Amino acid sequence: MEKSGLEGKVVYRHSVVARLSHWLWALALLVLVMSGLQIFNAAPYLDASDKNNPTKRVFAIAGGMPPGETRAVGMVYILGHTFNTTGVLGYTDDGQGGRSVRAFPGWLTLPSYQDLAGGRVWHLFFGWVLILALVAYGIQLIVRKGWRDLVMRPEDFRNLLPMQLYYLRLRKDPPPHGTYNPLQKLTYNIVLFVMMPLIVITGLALSPGMDAIANPLTSILGGRQFARLWHFLLMALFIGYFATHIVLVFATGAWNNIKSMVTGYYHLGKHDGVGP
Amino acid sequence: MKRRLFVASSLSAVGLTGCGVGNALTQNQIVHNILSSVDVLNHGLIGTRGMAKEYTDADVDRNFRLNGFDTPSSARYIGYVKDKFAAYRLVVDGMVDNKQAFTVAQLRAMPLLTQITRHDCVEGWSAIGKWRGVRVADVLAIAKPQQGARYVVFHCMDVDDQGTPYYESLDLHQAAHPQTILALDLNDAPLDADHGAPVRMKIPTQLGYKSAKWVDHIEVVSTFQHVFSGKGGYWEDAGYNWYAGI
Repeated sequence: MEKSGLEGKVVYRHSVVARLSHWLWALALLVLVMSGLQIFNAAPYLDASDKNNPTKRVFAIAGGMPPGETRAVGMVYILGHTFNTTGVLGYTDDGQGGRSVRAFPGWLTLPSYQDLAGGRVWHLFFGWVLILALVAYGIQLIVRKGWRDLVMRPEDFRNLLPMQLYYLRLRKDPPPHGTYNPLQKLTYNIVLFVMMPLIVITGLALSPGMDAIANPLTSILGGRQFARLWHFLLMALFIGYFATHIVLVFATGAWNNIKSMVTGYYHLGKHDGVGP
Repeated sequence: MKRRLFVASSLSAVGLTGCGVGNALTQNQIVHNILSSVDVLNHGLIGTRGMAKEYTDADVDRNFRLNGFDTPSSARYIGYVKDKFAAYRLVVDGMVDNKQAFTVAQLRAMPLLTQITRHDCVEGWSAIGKWRGVRVADVLAIAKPQQGARYVVFHCMDVDDQGTPYYESLDLHQAAHPQTILALDLNDAPLDADHGAPVRMKIPTQLGYKSAKWVDHIEVVSTFQHVFSGKGGYWEDAGYNWYAGI
């Protein structure tokens, strides 16, 4: 790919559907995580099993008043290890200005106070927003042939390590690439076409109606509670992706990046390419 | 220091405003109706199809988890328990040709179906129970729903702190599902008072709140708008989805 000749050129990079779905995903991710934590709070434990089985417990948040104590405590249990998290998790912000026994704090849940029904209506609605935005994005990828810029080619696999070295400042220049560098391509493919379908599937596996239709689905995931664990782990991956995404948006020219995701137009930099 | 304080307080102000907006939107009836509208999509796409997975005796939770309202403490219910439900009747009325008042013995004389199924609570937990009882379809076949009947409302004997009774509803399709039963036994013994004696709903294709306990009155209706707050169930009236398959 050309690299020097394109510097300073302005290209139309993101279609209106791509931009709209991007911001819908951002909103959906925020709402789904916060309402999901609200839902989690109703049963703040995760078992690697079908029905609940405390001997298969992987993660739990608990709070209460230990015998003989005068102050409530909050605890987190992960794979056999227990941590005191009083004030942050387990015994924390109740979303109404006080503190109570509660897994995730009020400032992280939607709504802030304990309300499973409220959390569920947000969650089920924005699950649809996520899915429909993915469908719309997928259609525009095909129609505008944008998939060609995203698909991983043999040289992309070879260039993953050099690209990572460049990000780590162990290499002066990135390997030549098109619209997206190999790490971007890999990440976007995993997030869009692996993590998004999986988080929807693991969520649906919790549904007794769905379980009756697609019985093997819940079983493949290890059962209903195990599906809940997968769903939670995928959320953690999404948060990890989001954090990385934000860091890189700012590290690679925040204004140009954000502007291009609003207007569609992107100013090509020194190493930027166009095309596959 | 001042600057840090300023940043911290601005951030928490943004956070609090965010919480405030989220809470206000959650409580707004129009927003709630918009968000709940996907109920129709979920009901249409998932619905009540297929069969809930059946387990084996080895999977059963012998101490089946208790949840929901307290066991009824009314004089009527205590009287029922005292005389082993001899005076209890399961009334079936509303839009039916043959109104019924079943005794427990009459229900037990009908074909009984056993299912070992997973009970999935809306809170997220699951437990497995062995349920035995009468198909709702068989009860309705005797009562004969009339033309125009669409829903089956299950009225219960338990009440909340304010005295509001528990109730639930299914449409006729969900009620006719072969695993939708009026359970009489749990884990090879007649239901105990805490688990909904003498008759409770068990519908494994939907979340636990549909499996109403202490049922004593089945009402066949064309719409449930006139029943309590009109959303089709106690928890539905409190904001939960009517379609509880998801």
